[in-house]
Amino acid sequence: MEFSQIVANSLIRGSELSLLAIGLTMVFDILKFSNFAHADYAVLGAFLAYSFNQVFGINVLISIALAAFLTGLFGIGVDRILFKRLRIIGAKPVTLMIVSMGIEIGLRNLLRLIWTSETKTYAIAITKPLEIFGARITPLQIKIILVGFLSMVAFHILLHKTKFGKSLRAISDNRMLASACAIDSERMITWMWFLACAYGVIGGTMIAMEHVLYPRLGFDILIPVFCATILGGIGNPYGAMVGALILAFAENIILSLDLSWLINLGGFFNVHSIQISTGYKPAISFLMLIVILLWKPTGILRKK
Amino acid sequence: MLKIKDLQKNFGNLRALDRVSLEVEEDSIVGLIGPNGSGKTTLFNVVSGFYEKDGGEIYFKEERVDGLTPDRIARKGLCRTFQIAKAPEKLTALENMMLAAKNQVGENPFSALFTRRRTARVEKENLDRAMELLEVLQLVDLRNEYAGDLSGGQKKLLSLGRVFMLQPDMILLDEPTAGVNPTLTMQLMKAVKELQQREHKSVFIIEHSMKVISSICDKVYVFNFGKKMAEGTPAEIQKNEKVLEAYLGGA
Amino acid sequence: MTVINFFIYLLTMVGIYGLLAMSLNFQVGFGGLINFGQVAFFCIGAYTSSLLATRIGIPLPFCFAGGMVLSGVFGYVMSIPTKSLKSDYWAIATLATAEVIRLIALNEGWLTGGPFGVMSIPQPFQSLFSRDSYAGFYLILVLVCVLLVYFALSLLSDSPFGRDVKAIRDEEELCLSLGKNTRQIKLQAMVVAGMVGGLAGALFAHYITFISPENFRPIETFLMWAMIIVGGRGNHAGAILGAVIIQLFNVSTRFIGAYVPLSPDSMASLRMLIIGLLIIIFVSYRPEGLIKEKKKVYYPKRRHGE
Repeated sequence: MEFSQIVANSLIRGSELSLLAIGLTMVFDILKFSNFAHADYAVLGAFLAYSFNQVFGINVLISIALAAFLTGLFGIGVDRILFKRLRIIGAKPVTLMIVSMGIEIGLRNLLRLIWTSETKTYAIAITKPLEIFGARITPLQIKIILVGFLSMVAFHILLHKTKFGKSLRAISDNRMLASACAIDSERMITWMWFLACAYGVIGGTMIAMEHVLYPRLGFDILIPVFCATILGGIGNPYGAMVGALILAFAENIILSLDLSWLINLGGFFNVHSIQISTGYKPAISFLMLIVILLWKPTGILRKK
Repeated sequence: MLKIKDLQKNFGNLRALDRVSLEVEEDSIVGLIGPNGSGKTTLFNVVSGFYEKDGGEIYFKEERVDGLTPDRIARKGLCRTFQIAKAPEKLTALENMMLAAKNQVGENPFSALFTRRRTARVEKENLDRAMELLEVLQLVDLRNEYAGDLSGGQKKLLSLGRVFMLQPDMILLDEPTAGVNPTLTMQLMKAVKELQQREHKSVFIIEHSMKVISSICDKVYVFNFGKKMAEGTPAEIQKNEKVLEAYLGGA
Repeated sequence: MTVINFFIYLLTMVGIYGLLAMSLNFQVGFGGLINFGQVAFFCIGAYTSSLLATRIGIPLPFCFAGGMVLSGVFGYVMSIPTKSLKSDYWAIATLATAEVIRLIALNEGWLTGGPFGVMSIPQPFQSLFSRDSYAGFYLILVLVCVLLVYFALSLLSDSPFGRDVKAIRDEEELCLSLGKNTRQIKLQAMVVAGMVGGLAGALFAHYITFISPENFRPIETFLMWAMIIVGGRGNHAGAILGAVIIQLFNVSTRFIGAYVPLSPDSMASLRMLIIGLLIIIFVSYRPEGLIKEKKKVYYPKRRHGE
């Protein structure tokens, strides 16, 4: 495969994953637990957006906005009903994680109940892919990369130029100190959930548009999102994006590697080509996750 | 028994322990006092293996122990308590004591399954000893309560009992009376003195109360800013000008 | 299937999952080891035993033993990172590892038969029984295993080893200060749990005589978690109770499907949705589960020396 194609594919997948990773890293950092259901929130939004757009014919941007809004409310609701109470009684992060596991199973199957296991595809007109530097890329894919980039920029502006962002960073650094400075933690947490879900929904919808949408999508992208988050360092949204790009890149590179040169080294064999089977594609993110957890669990980028 | 030479521990730019040298002899009770933040608990943490040192040497019973893992140091006979008393909450007070017993049998799956008679015999011996200690500490009535349900003071007493179950050669006591009411404090210190005289071990104790120090310590070290500032008998250091200044001027 | 046969099947599966629940409970309830990759023990035990039987043809007891040993080894491997990783990171790592194992089973067809799995797995003492009574025999085999494991694990948890495991769960630093080699003890706990999980896998494989990677998806781990959450953590009887409840629920709703106007796919979704809710509700409001951890009491009424 052409190197430029690998780069293009990585940019696309990286953009999609980064939007989910940003939300996950925020929740991980501020609420101190790994939200197993995060990807499923995104998929919930993706299903909503799909229904609004493909079934009810609402304009795609409005569909996404609406879906993001509703999913944000859902995330806030779940937090209020379940996590807040556990936070107050001082439950361990592991307990929250187990509850989120329960939410993951419940939510995934709720989606399956409502929308059935049938995969959904967006009816997008098949256009001829463009050729840029030897890589074939469709206009949709270019839009995805653009949306990913613009979302990061928007997040940066949010984090540094708004009062909300400053408060968020303060809470991230030291929750008790922040509340001593009259920053309303609980309100911030509400907005944080909203933001995390909204970003997730955008990412989920893009994946749905570029590939297919099905209820188990949440669980299938959970580990890659976790991998990207931890690679970039918990609490570092820029790291989340970089981690997503690195992971996407690794996935594409490893699969296109031809290992036959290894076997042919001794000169005893003359094998044509040995490649890692594409069936292992999910394994790449799993293995990277295991490696990074064992080697450098704080991530390769330091927290800002 | 314990010899520390030029021990160094830094946290970034902060010199928590600055070339500290001191000694604790056999069969004695030595005190360690100093203002908050002077490095006392840090010293205990480094000596017991919970923190890594940045320089210096630690000798226990003539053997170098710096750099060993905490459990290995404990097995060599150098044991400690924690400033905030810890106890596994779902084990009863008696189970806590049994947990610490020295030379247990049945601590791995194989012997637990296949040497049951011997295990039961050793467990009974440990049980008797644990009950004796609980009597001394006046905790016997709480023997079947979950450790998690005990009060702070009771947990401190339990920590003391546990560390004696270990039959160590030397005990590091980290503020054993902090947060404990005066009656219980005297009870605790009486127990420490009694047990030390019975077993002839060394005790190194961090304390804030001069009353406690004077009543049980043979020798006292005074710390300030990570350095050893003074040493002597309780009477001597109480008259030491530098010590008085540190306590009145510092903290 | 006749009613009797169905009940025998149900109880056999309850027994096998009971073993898995007890294994997971030993790690989670007693050891505080949050293992999200439990299905890997199931998978390794099943594949090892069935491959040894079908590819090499060694006597079945050795196949079962092989499954248990390899699962135990895997338990050892999983315990290595527990020193350096916080529990939630370790949990994610176990989930990822279990999936990698399944993907290897799926892709390395030359070894595992790939997506087609392992077929015609021989059954122990097959020739001694008629087709009809064999199922009854196997049920007894499984129940005997469950009883043996129950007693063995009870012995372990009541022993000094069990005490150490529980203490490490609650206060690891303290245990270090008491001279316990916590890493080794956690390792031993994982090996024991792994072997029990492997036994369950072997019993499963030789019961249904056909396994494939589809049997070992992550959802199985979550079902086992539901069992110990509902039944009770830190209690062997609780694990078995949880297995009974969840399996009964799982299987009985398959039959309600005939009377309820929902497609089988929807029934399956509703089933799992309820299980998710059960997990959430129990962890939030009754974390000890239905049967609580037992307290070890010495000399309950008599005072020493009286």
